[in-house]
Parts: sequence; structure tokens; C-alpha cells
Amino acid sequence: MIRDFLFFTTEALISIRRSGIMMFISIATITVSLIVFGIFLLLSANISNLTTYFAAKLEIRAYLKDSTRPDEILDLKTRFEAIPSVRKVEFIDKNTAWEEFKKNYPKIELNTLISDNPLPNAFRIILSDSAKLTTVANHLKGFESVEDVGDMGAIADRITAFSEYTRIAGIILVSLLTFATLLIIVNTIRLTVIARQDEITIMQLVGATTSFIRWPFIIEGLIIGVIGSVFSIVFLIFGYSFFVMRFQEKIPFFPLVYSHFTLNIIYLGIFIVGTTLGVLGAYLSVSRTIKSNY
Amino acid sequence: MIRVKNVRKIYPNGFVALDGIDVHISRNEFVYLVGQSGAGKSTLLSMMYKAEIPTSGDIYIDNIALSNIDANQVPYLRRSIGVIFQDYKLLPRRTVYENVAFALRVMHFSRSRIRRQVTQVLELVGLQQKMHHYPSELSGGEQQRICIARAIVNNPPILLADEPTGSLDPDTSWEIMQLLSKINARQTTVIVATHNKSIVDDIRKRVIAVENGRVIRDEQLGLYNP
Ligand SMILES: Nc1ncnc2c1ncn2[C@@H]1O[C@H](COP(=O)(O)OP(=O)(O)O)[C@@H](O)[C@H]1O
Ligand SMILES: [Mg+2]
Repeated sequence: MIRDFLFFTTEALISIRRSGIMMFISIATITVSLIVFGIFLLLSANISNLTTYFAAKLEIRAYLKDSTRPDEILDLKTRFEAIPSVRKVEFIDKNTAWEEFKKNYPKIELNTLISDNPLPNAFRIILSDSAKLTTVANHLKGFESVEDVGDMGAIADRITAFSEYTRIAGIILVSLLTFATLLIIVNTIRLTVIARQDEITIMQLVGATTSFIRWPFIIEGLIIGVIGSVFSIVFLIFGYSFFVMRFQEKIPFFPLVYSHFTLNIIYLGIFIVGTTLGVLGAYLSVSRTIKSNY
Repeated sequence: MIRVKNVRKIYPNGFVALDGIDVHISRNEFVYLVGQSGAGKSTLLSMMYKAEIPTSGDIYIDNIALSNIDANQVPYLRRSIGVIFQDYKLLPRRTVYENVAFALRVMHFSRSRIRRQVTQVLELVGLQQKMHHYPSELSGGEQQRICIARAIVNNPPILLADEPTGSLDPDTSWEIMQLLSKINARQTTVIVATHNKSIVDDIRKRVIAVENGRVIRDEQLGLYNP
């Protein structure tokens, strides 16, 4: 088995050396496709990061009717907390709010204008999922003691829609790229198959099985895939850290993705996609080209 | 050993290459398949190792109908049939040794067994001195010897030769035929398609004559012409 593997690998390397330019084009294509693929992955990781970041900042205010009794307020808090996607519920006493307001806007001589506290008691409700903002807000409106609900629904909807659009556009782009890359690999390997047609005919003549004939080409595809993946990953690693550096100079606290875990998963994904494309392309190509000879 | 039963071959373009062939060849026989160019000799041979499939009729090897052998099993059929051609079909970038070893590698033989069998067979065909040469460095007759070595290196029971002397001068042709006779004597059924009259008349064997896709004569120790 190891002997066969060495034989197949040698055959693959000989073939790669012989079909230099085509192999170069093939590796370049897979590299470029994977880079675009990686940019898309990094972009969507950042958008999703951003959405979660904003979700944490998004809050709903539920203003209570003045008639609400303190025991009812306590009861409401537990009931609000039980609503799905609600992460945190915080009571804001009207007096505290009033003091804060006055502190924030000291220029306005409020006391001379308004003597009574005009603010209602309120709850600040923080969500775990920004997409649920409108749903939760509507839900809150249904409560008897809730006078009014202030939400940022419009912003949340836009963020969600934006991340959804980029996701769809990305999927379309990546599918097209994958298809194009596969096509190019299939054709590259086909050329090497044709270049070795005599050899294949002889192999078939002396009783080589199709899988034996196929292996060197599969390994060739694997090598193309691995080289392309490594090139694109190296490019992305340097490119992304350069981008992060530049971006931080401009907007220092912007929530970009830094987590090594997330980034490594993205790079691993690119590697898997690249090698799979190489192997699959070779397999398809050889299967289509060889069969006719029996 | 080989039984051809009512085989017809019509090529996709409608040409009738074989028109009802019935032949029986016994184990260890030596047979000439003679006839004009275009008579159907190559077509008949290529159906024996399943490079072509009869339009109707069937071929049996050791009582196994080739129509029952599916694509996955064809490689194993080929391992029991050695084939050589007029145009050699050698790998130009591999040495004599590698060209022959190639056949055994395909069959997953161990390295030591490959070395032993390749050395032995190169000795048999008289090329042991040239095993590290490339085919282009050898004469036509020597190249055909490599092919013979490759075809018999795993001792198949059948050897098919399609115009083996077609590109060779008379003396070399004669040597190659001597070699095929020697292989036949080592328990191998040999079928030689040829239109080389002097060979057939010199080295007398069974002659099956084909014309327009039909067997017109089948005679022991026959001559090229009746
Ligand atoms: N693949 C093919 N398609 C169509 N006709 C073919 C094909 N192969 C051979 N033939 C025709 O079949 C006839 C027999 O060919 P062949 O068996 O090669 O004859 P031989 O070997 O006796 O010279 C020839 O007339 C040839 O032109
Ligand atoms: Mg012929």
C-alpha cells in the first residue's frame, strides 16, 4: 500500500513537472478563488460580530403607567425576564431618571420650568438577539401596565437585513467561484490525462484497474488544492492583519473579529474547501476521460 | 481454451468487420491468423481481451463468456492475456526494466518479486544487458522484445500478437517468431495475426485465414496461401 502510494505520488509529481504552465494557471486560479472566498468569510464573520455587538447595545424601554403599584412592578420584572430573547431587565425608577436627566442637561433650568417629575417609571430591556427587537417590543405593548414602548426597531431591522443580504450575495458569489474553480481544475487535470493517454492505454492493456490509474491524478489534484489553499491562507493572514491595523488607526474601538479561534476556523475551512476542490476536480476529470477506453 | 462463437462485429459507422466467426483454439496451441489488411484480424484479437465488444455472438475463455465480464473485471482478464502490437506501445521516458516492471507494479507485486521476474524475463528475451537503456536507444527488434517481455512477465496463459513483425526486416522478424515459438513451448497459447507470407510458410503452424470478416480456411501446418 505504501509502495503504491509512493508510486502514485512520484507519478503525480512527474506529471506536474511536465505540465508546468497549465499547473501554474490552475494553482493561481484556485488561490484567487480561495482568497475571494476567504474575504467573504472574514467579511461575514465581522458583520455577524457587529450584529451581536449592536444587539448588546440595543435596548427597549417600556414606560409604565403611573398607576402601577410597586408589587406589580416586581411581578412585571419577572414576567419580562421570561420573554424569549430577553437577556436583561432593569428597573429605572422615575426619580432616579429625573435626577440623571437633570444632571445630564444642567444648562436647562428645569426646576424653574417644571416642578413635578414628568418622567414615568420604566424598564430597560436588553436583548440577546437583535432580530427579535420588534417582536419583543410588540409583546411588551400587550401588557396592561405598559403605557408606551420605545425601541430601536428600525435600526435593528436594517442591520439584520444588511447581514442577510451580504450572506445571500456571498453564497451566490462563492457558488459561482467554486464552480469556476472546479471547471478549471477538471480541465487542467484533463490535459494531463490526455498528455498521458498512451501511458493510460498501456496500463489498461496490462490490467491496471481504473482506481490504480486514477490515483496519480487524484494526488495531483490534491497537490494543486493544498498549494492553492496554503497560498491563499498566507495571503489572507497577512492581508487581514494589515487591514485590522489600518482600520484601528482610523476607528480605534471598532468591533472587528480578532479571535484566533474564529480566524483559525475560517482558514481551516478554506484549506478543506481548497483540497476538496482539487481532489473532486481530478476525480471528475479522470472518470470522464478514462472510461471510454474499456 | 478460446472459443469464438458466431461473432459478428459491426462498427458504429455500419461497417461489418466480422461476419459470423466460429473458431476454437486449444490450450498451448500456436495459431496464425492470416488475411489481407482490413480482413478483420485486429478486430478479432481485440475482442479477445475485450477492447472491442462483439455486436452479436460471444467469446469464451476457459469457458467464461466475455459478455459476462463487466468493466470492473476487465483488468483481471487482461492480466491473463499478454498482447503485443506492430507499434510496440512502450513508455519512452522509462527504461527497458521499468517498462517491463510497470506491468507487475499494476498487479501490486512486491518489489523483490518484480525484480526477480523482470530479470528472468529479460534474460529469456535476450535483453538483460540493456535493461537500463531507454527504448529509443534500441533497435526495432529489441523494442519488440521489450513488449514481449512485458506481455509475458506474469506468465499469462495466452499471448496475442497483432502484426508483431510488421515493422521489422526479415531476419529480425524471424528471430521474433523464434522467440514466440519458444514462449509457446513454455505452455502459452499464442495467436499471431500477420500477413507476412514467408514467416507463415517457414515456421509452419495452424493457419486460420480470414477474408471480409469470415473464416475461409482453417488448417493445421498450413501455408499462407492454399
Ligand atoms: N473503430 C472502427 N470503426 C470503423 N471501422 C473500423 C474500425 N476499426 C476497424 N475498422 C474497419 O474494420 C475492418 C477490419 O479492420 P481490422 O480488424 O483492423 O483489419 P486487419 O487487422 O485484418 O487489417 C477494416 O476495414 C477497418 O477499416
Ligand atoms: Mg490489423
